[in-house]
Amino acid sequence: MISIQLITVLSIAYFVILFGVAYYADWCREHGRSLIANAHVYSLSIAVYCTSWTFYGSVGRAATSGIDFLLIYLGPTLMAFSWWFLLRKMVRVSKEQNIVSIGDFISSRYGKSAFLGAIVTIFAVIGIMPYIALQLKAISQSFDLLTLPPEVFRQGGTHHFQAISQTIDTAFVVALLLGLFGVLFGARHLDASERHEGLVAAIALESIIKVIAFVAVGIFVTYGLFDGFGDIFSRFQETFPERAYLLQIGGENTSYARWFSLTFIAMMACMFLPRQFHIMVIENSSEEHVKSAMWRFPLYMFVINLFVIPIALGGLILSNGDTSQADYFVLNLPLTNNQEWLGVLAFLGGFSASAGMVMVSSVALATMILNQLAMPAILKFRLEVADFSILLINLKRFCILGVIFLGYLYYRIIGESYALVNIGLISFIAATQFAPSLIGGLYWRRATLKGAATGLILGFLIWFYTLLIPSFVRSGWLHSDILENGLFGLSYLRPLELFGLSGFDIWTHSLFWTLFFNVGAFLTLSLMSEPEKQVLEQVPKFVDTFKPRRAEPEKQRISKAPTIMEFVELMTKFIGEKQAHAAIAEYLGDREIDQRGSLSEYELPSLKRFTERTLAGSVGAAPARIIIENYLVTRGSKMEDVFDIFGSVNLSRTSSREQLGVLYESARVVASGAKLQRIMDDILDLMVQQFKLDLCVIRMHDPSTDNLVVHSQRGMSSEHLGRSERELTMETYIGQTFLSNEPVVVNDTDFMSKPISAQIIHREGIKSFAHAPITIEGEPIGVLSAFSKTIKGIFTDEFVEMFLSLAGQVGVAWRNNQQTIKLLVAAEQQKEMEIAKTIQLGLLPNSVPKLPDVHLGGICVPAKDVGGDYYDHMMSSAHQLDLVVADVSGHNVGAALLMAETRTYIRARAHKIPTAKQVMASLNEFFYADLSRAELFITMFYARYNANLKRLVYASAGHCKPILYRHATKSCERLDAEGLIFGILPQVEFEERHTYLYPGDLLLLFTDGIVEAENDLGEFFGEERLARLVCDSVSLSPQEMIDRILNQARLFTGTRHFKDDVSLVVMKAEAKN
Amino acid sequence: MRSPSPVRLKETWVLCFILGIIMLNYPFLEIFNKPVTLFGIPLLVLYLTFGWLFSIFVIFLFSRYLGSVSAESDNHSGDAE
Repeated sequence: MISIQLITVLSIAYFVILFGVAYYADWCREHGRSLIANAHVYSLSIAVYCTSWTFYGSVGRAATSGIDFLLIYLGPTLMAFSWWFLLRKMVRVSKEQNIVSIGDFISSRYGKSAFLGAIVTIFAVIGIMPYIALQLKAISQSFDLLTLPPEVFRQGGTHHFQAISQTIDTAFVVALLLGLFGVLFGARHLDASERHEGLVAAIALESIIKVIAFVAVGIFVTYGLFDGFGDIFSRFQETFPERAYLLQIGGENTSYARWFSLTFIAMMACMFLPRQFHIMVIENSSEEHVKSAMWRFPLYMFVINLFVIPIALGGLILSNGDTSQADYFVLNLPLTNNQEWLGVLAFLGGFSASAGMVMVSSVALATMILNQLAMPAILKFRLEVADFSILLINLKRFCILGVIFLGYLYYRIIGESYALVNIGLISFIAATQFAPSLIGGLYWRRATLKGAATGLILGFLIWFYTLLIPSFVRSGWLHSDILENGLFGLSYLRPLELFGLSGFDIWTHSLFWTLFFNVGAFLTLSLMSEPEKQVLEQVPKFVDTFKPRRAEPEKQRISKAPTIMEFVELMTKFIGEKQAHAAIAEYLGDREIDQRGSLSEYELPSLKRFTERTLAGSVGAAPARIIIENYLVTRGSKMEDVFDIFGSVNLSRTSSREQLGVLYESARVVASGAKLQRIMDDILDLMVQQFKLDLCVIRMHDPSTDNLVVHSQRGMSSEHLGRSERELTMETYIGQTFLSNEPVVVNDTDFMSKPISAQIIHREGIKSFAHAPITIEGEPIGVLSAFSKTIKGIFTDEFVEMFLSLAGQVGVAWRNNQQTIKLLVAAEQQKEMEIAKTIQLGLLPNSVPKLPDVHLGGICVPAKDVGGDYYDHMMSSAHQLDLVVADVSGHNVGAALLMAETRTYIRARAHKIPTAKQVMASLNEFFYADLSRAELFITMFYARYNANLKRLVYASAGHCKPILYRHATKSCERLDAEGLIFGILPQVEFEERHTYLYPGDLLLLFTDGIVEAENDLGEFFGEERLARLVCDSVSLSPQEMIDRILNQARLFTGTRHFKDDVSLVVMKAEAKN
Repeated sequence: MRSPSPVRLKETWVLCFILGIIMLNYPFLEIFNKPVTLFGIPLLVLYLTFGWLFSIFVIFLFSRYLGSVSAESDNHSGDAE
């Protein structure tokens, strides 16, 4: 035996070293390094799986029931195959969601349900109780074993003799000590991320110690006390041939059913025991570490188990087959063989195994109790606490102690009646109950809260009934009646033969029924019920972890949103000031902050989520959700669904279809050809109806007053918003919209920067509004406005885009309308021109005067509707014919009017004036004023033919010289007379000449339109060509000659229309035959 | 070594996982569940010990392979070992 003092001092020294390592790891972390962020430490820390159950219990089980102890380690080895897929997914999800415990994980998956979190926590605490009891039992018994004389220990164990004192229970002291260590390692300060680097470092060190201690003992037994493996096996077979079953399967203790059950239980437990989940998932610092932990952890288990059978068999041989102390062969064999230091090492190894498990378990469970039970309760009862962070850390410390003392309680009740391994298996099956809802939740979308909760509750009730009740009975705490006759004497309710299922061992029986009800209820209810809304939100975060996800557009906004500082204050309350500030600094990092020092409207929900996530890291997902909700409710703010413009939910693909629908409808309105006013009214009606707006207005720019004038208004009637004109100024939002040609959106009228607008807006009770410029070819011509009295934040980016398109449609309608008006005006003018043309044509002579021996023909072809050419012939007396050809410069209406005036004057006055030159002079005098005012000119050729004398008297006002064909010489000559064109001088002297027309002679009067007819090459038709044409076609009648000249001219130009007015007059003296 | 697709990788591992479960259960274990010793050590103990070691080795190879896959996708070299 070894003195208590020595053991105590050694134990304490060992713990001081452990604590030093932990403290150093924490210190490193604070200084930006991480001791534990590597695969070695991660793998070693997972070895917290190997507790005193492994260290002492495996040997005990190998010695009593045989080889099936291995399954507890073979199971996890098989499970490690799945780690790259399953564990990595769990790690990824937990990191993304800031998950802090298995309870938090399951609760988060099912819509952050506080209820589910509470169930998982209660079951985890009850389920792990036996496991902690096991550790306490192992430490206290090994301590007693080490310090008491062997014979005393053997006689009665701990109940009769206590190593420390008669009155104080060793286990109690151990529980107290472990509790203290749990607090020191796991709850020194509150940590936002719930990671404990110090704890992990200490666990890793303990894992090294326990494997060294166990292997040392193993080597000592195998090679010190015996002569190697073969020696032990052969001596065992010689000594205890009747116990050969220990090394075979199929005996009473190791049926194949049990073999399978144990493998399965171990597979699940190594993942879903709260402490395993904590170490493997929460404390994981990189997914890469999973990769090497996959083989390192199984290898660790292999090494530590290598010597279990030799020690067990060796112990049996040396103790003559006595199995009462088989659990402590590891300690006893060195002690009884005077290897006390090896014994101390074994004790420290066992102590490490137990302490590590208790510390991690208590911290993990305390976190769960705090987050899933205490916080919801505190929040539910609205306890007013000034500083939550202090309350939280103290609660956590209390919970750690509480968990350990629950284990102690269980140990006091059950402790003596079960071997170590059997106590542990009860906890393993409890942990297995988490598997369906957790794995199902990771891979099955349809899994619902109802299914998960019911499955868990049923699983645990059956677990309690089939495992915990029998353990109470066996300890004598309950009457054995229930085992034999069942609950209420109903035989089919016997805990060990539930519903008459007999013939299986207690573990297989319990595993079957718990999973039957658990999985059954989980699947059935999930299939029968629809996933709840809040569950659906979480599904992609858990199921589609490895798929790239698109950032969903913000669908919610916060009314009366808190500021950034208010969020920080809220966080400070729960995680302390330093952590809160660090968190917000990290969040804000690269985000844009506007002038008021706040985030944009659509960043706020994201900040809210961040705050919730940060709090979740400290208090768990469900409480964090409740905290935020309560906080917003107290402030009077709430999350509002962003008004769904497109009447559908969630899918932006659907919304764009809706958007298309509205745009299509408005385009249809624009294209309908209705009146502009109707189109504008219809578009506004569409907006008011589709988007539940309260007022929509179209204002157009009036260039004459430079104001925006209301053209259409729909929705509520408002003198100020809808009717009145707006001046163009940057002082109003609408003015800014027009002037900057950019849409202006105010989603919350509580925040407005323009006082003039704010006054009107507030008077009308508007919550949000937007203006969009109406443009034609990029130039603003008006403003489309929309106002909402009910909803803030209606104008999402998506909606503003749509709003701009609608403004564009109004612009198109406006432009269409403008063009229609222009077309109408043009048509009107055209009609008038037609009238003018008819009238003007009517002004030309329509009959040919009858004169003997003279034939006449004439034509006027205006270049446009009306022209400035004029020709006429009239009988000024019985034997006297007057011929006129005139050309007013230009060929527009003005020219036509002057032409009409000329005709009137000539028709009215000419016959009274004796000579041609006097006619010309009086015309010039008469027209001078009008012409000079209109800046026009007139050229004219005036001829007077006396039929009796055959004499032609003529005068010209700068007109083209007419062509006279002499029949006698068969040649053309030109008639020329001096004279200035009309409109140059008020008084002009005109020269008058005369000639005689002989039979066969022909006179052609024309305007410059014919000689200046131009072809593509820029050549004029010319007087030469005209004269030749006259000579060639002199045999034709005057009208035929005119047609020929026109045809030839058209052939020459290549077009049907002349550029200038063309007038031709032909006078032919009849040839004498 | 040609790199199989992630799906094939996953399926291979599901297969290994199932094989592991089969080889550690009835009736497969019956093959070794005999009172025969090899070098004085019962056959079942030997089978479990070396079977265990073998599966750890398989996982080790798998994790090595995963390492090379992720290294490959890191530098896009395309040259596998």
